[in-house]
Amino acid sequence: MRRYWRIFKEFFRTCLVEELEYRSEFMGNLFSSLLGIIVSILMVQIFFYQTDQLGGWAYADVLILLGIFNTLQGLINFALRPNMPRLLLHIRMGTLDYVLTKPIDSMFFVSLRHLVFWRLIDVVLGIGLVIYGLGQKHFIPSFLDVGFFLLSILAALVIIYSLWMLLMTTAFWVIRMDDLSFLFNSFFETTRFPITMYKGWLRMALTYVLPAAFVTFTPASSLIGKWDGGATLASVLVAVIFFWLARRFWKFALANYTSASS
Amino acid sequence: MTIQVQDLNKSFRVHVRQEGWTEALRSLFKREYQTVQAVKDVSFTINTGEIVGFLGPNGAGKTTTMKMLAGLLHPTSGTIEVDGFKPQEQKNEFKKIMSLVMGQKSQLIWDIPPMETFLVNKSVYEIDDHSFRQTLDELVELLELQPLLGRPVRNMSLGQRMKCELACSLLHRPSVLFLDEPTIGLDVNTQEKVRQFIANYNREHKTTILLTSHYMGDVTALCDRVMIINHGKLLYDGELQVLSEKLTPYKLLEVRLPSSTRGPWESYGEVVTFEDGKLTLRVARDRVPLVSSELLANYEINDLNIQDPPMEEVITLAFQEESHDH
Amino acid sequence: MITKYLAILRMKYVEMFAYQLSTMVWMFGTMVQPLITMMVWMNIYPDQGESFVLYFVALIMVERLTSAWDVWEMDRQIREGTFSYQIVRPFHPIHWAIAENIVYKGLFLVVLVPCWIILALFIPSLRLHLSVTGWGLFLAALLLGAVIRFAMSFLFGILCFWMNKVTAIYAMFETVSLFLSGQIAPFSLLPPVVKQISTFFPYRYMIGFPLEILTGTANSHTLMIGFIGSFIWAVVLIVIISLLWNAGLKKNQAVGG
Repeated sequence: MRRYWRIFKEFFRTCLVEELEYRSEFMGNLFSSLLGIIVSILMVQIFFYQTDQLGGWAYADVLILLGIFNTLQGLINFALRPNMPRLLLHIRMGTLDYVLTKPIDSMFFVSLRHLVFWRLIDVVLGIGLVIYGLGQKHFIPSFLDVGFFLLSILAALVIIYSLWMLLMTTAFWVIRMDDLSFLFNSFFETTRFPITMYKGWLRMALTYVLPAAFVTFTPASSLIGKWDGGATLASVLVAVIFFWLARRFWKFALANYTSASS
Repeated sequence: MTIQVQDLNKSFRVHVRQEGWTEALRSLFKREYQTVQAVKDVSFTINTGEIVGFLGPNGAGKTTTMKMLAGLLHPTSGTIEVDGFKPQEQKNEFKKIMSLVMGQKSQLIWDIPPMETFLVNKSVYEIDDHSFRQTLDELVELLELQPLLGRPVRNMSLGQRMKCELACSLLHRPSVLFLDEPTIGLDVNTQEKVRQFIANYNREHKTTILLTSHYMGDVTALCDRVMIINHGKLLYDGELQVLSEKLTPYKLLEVRLPSSTRGPWESYGEVVTFEDGKLTLRVARDRVPLVSSELLANYEINDLNIQDPPMEEVITLAFQEESHDH
Repeated sequence: MITKYLAILRMKYVEMFAYQLSTMVWMFGTMVQPLITMMVWMNIYPDQGESFVLYFVALIMVERLTSAWDVWEMDRQIREGTFSYQIVRPFHPIHWAIAENIVYKGLFLVVLVPCWIILALFIPSLRLHLSVTGWGLFLAALLLGAVIRFAMSFLFGILCFWMNKVTAIYAMFETVSLFLSGQIAPFSLLPPVVKQISTFFPYRYMIGFPLEILTGTANSHTLMIGFIGSFIWAVVLIVIISLLWNAGLKKNQAVGG
């Protein structure tokens, strides 16, 4: 574990140096992140221009949820998304063999090798928005609230990673799916607003089939004191199941790949 | 005269990279630039139908020069004329008489069969049906493309892809062909086939060809004339044979003789190797006839071969010469 | 010219089939955001569900038919150096892009129109009641919208000669589009200030304006302003492209691709 942390730090360093190479973009990236979060807030404001609740959630609550959404999105764009095109390239050019011969877990390597450092700005902005939302709400989470929040956000991270890997692994069979990350985006978009906004079967599907509910809704509920032990437990369980699935699928794909190539 | 280049220069401004955290951070605010002169005062002329090899290490200026000839880059100073056109003007008439093949970049579309790209080129270059058929048939035969025409490019080996790239760029029968590393990454067999094809094509169609390559084999097999470039400067332009004689004023004598034979070999020339009855001597060119006749007269010789030194050695020497000049 | 176009169209058509899976992913993936927004509005105004369904289904349709991806293509080709092959061929690279747009939008039309018709069998609000002139105006507005959006994208694509990662800037440009083009909400639900601003930006003419005609919410005043605005933007963009293109090529010749 410690070794992997050390390797990850090395990835981090090389990517940062690479990133700083593009100076003009640094300001641009900062600007685009700011714009991104402003746009998200404006969007919510446009809705609240016409109403005072969304799926039973007030403005400040929705902002907190949005903050969590932004943070998670930042993390995805920081660590996961940049690796997608590289894996496709590896498979296409046959350079995956290099990865497989390295004395390091291949799933770890392909999913976290390339980091787009500046995306961490989104994480900072997201956390800022959460704090701002709590301030607007005049609410200080209790110890227990934070505990449940941490547990459910951890589960959310694992769920995101697993879903991402499940999708990314299909790259072994599907030709030119540079668009897999786009597909993931479409899924992730559904977590932008409280899940209570969706009705009927759609909500069921977004909770149990594609576990969107556990990504932002459960952590946000916990943080504003509306935690639910059952839901948190379910999110941990779902996280474990999906991680196991992702792992199995990756191994299966590798087994197929190594036996297929000559 | 097909290609005429006079006092060609090209310089780029590049950002100086720094290593380490603090340096990288500093470069966020203050960037240092450096002007790199990729091509310096290069002049040459290439006649119709010639194949000229362009040699030099990575970053020597080969590709930059070639891109200027193809009109992709604008010279910083100097003039280029290709068949009466100024390439940098990028006129359609010019585009129709030349073709560019970059070994590391593909013009074929990855996921569909090459025939589709051929058909597009047919209309883009306004090739009429008859000559398209004729050219295609010829290329298909020469390059053995028949089984490849309907196969998506992604399912081809590098060599097969390269053959299709060549065909694609020859469909409009260009009179000038720029080949940038056409054999890069290919196996020895395919390299040989590509070379033969280029040689035959040149012979039959009198196409003027400028070729860059890392592989000496390409150049020795195809080009009588070479241009050697390093650090942007043209070091040599002329016959390969002459260069060899000039830089390596010796030949290699390979002698096979019974392994028990002993002799004062050093007195004949420099001994390169001597083992298991195989002796290799380095002998000055003018002494070769004398030495070989003496050897034949004095020893029991099974076999005697006179060889030119390997081309790699000649080129290395050429680059060393240049560094002496500095 | 026409034969060249036909050949490129043919190739793009074949190419499209090689990528049919990803084409489908994009087509259906882009529906997600409008559908979520629709859910939000239906949540806010539960009794107006029908009109939101019409608006957002029409939005999906118009958005697809005017979509532009050329900046991504150009960014990739310029970065990888394969754009050189387009430059050395005796046909203006813009035609490649236009042909590609025609093929893909044709496909969208072929897939989406039947989808709409089937949906309309079940959802009465999706049955359109447009006059012949209405259809004519819609198609004209749609075409202008597609031209403006394509031109914008291509313009950004030309900027790739000067800058790297232009796509990031373009993504920002698209984000602003959410508000001003009517993607986040019908214009009637937007705050008046936003509504006024949108008249001056190109966004509205890319998506919102054709959409208003299709959903029957455009009066003669909106129509006039809409067509004038679309026309001006289309002309301005085309002029800028023709000026910038040559400068871009020069720049590319100076630094290499």
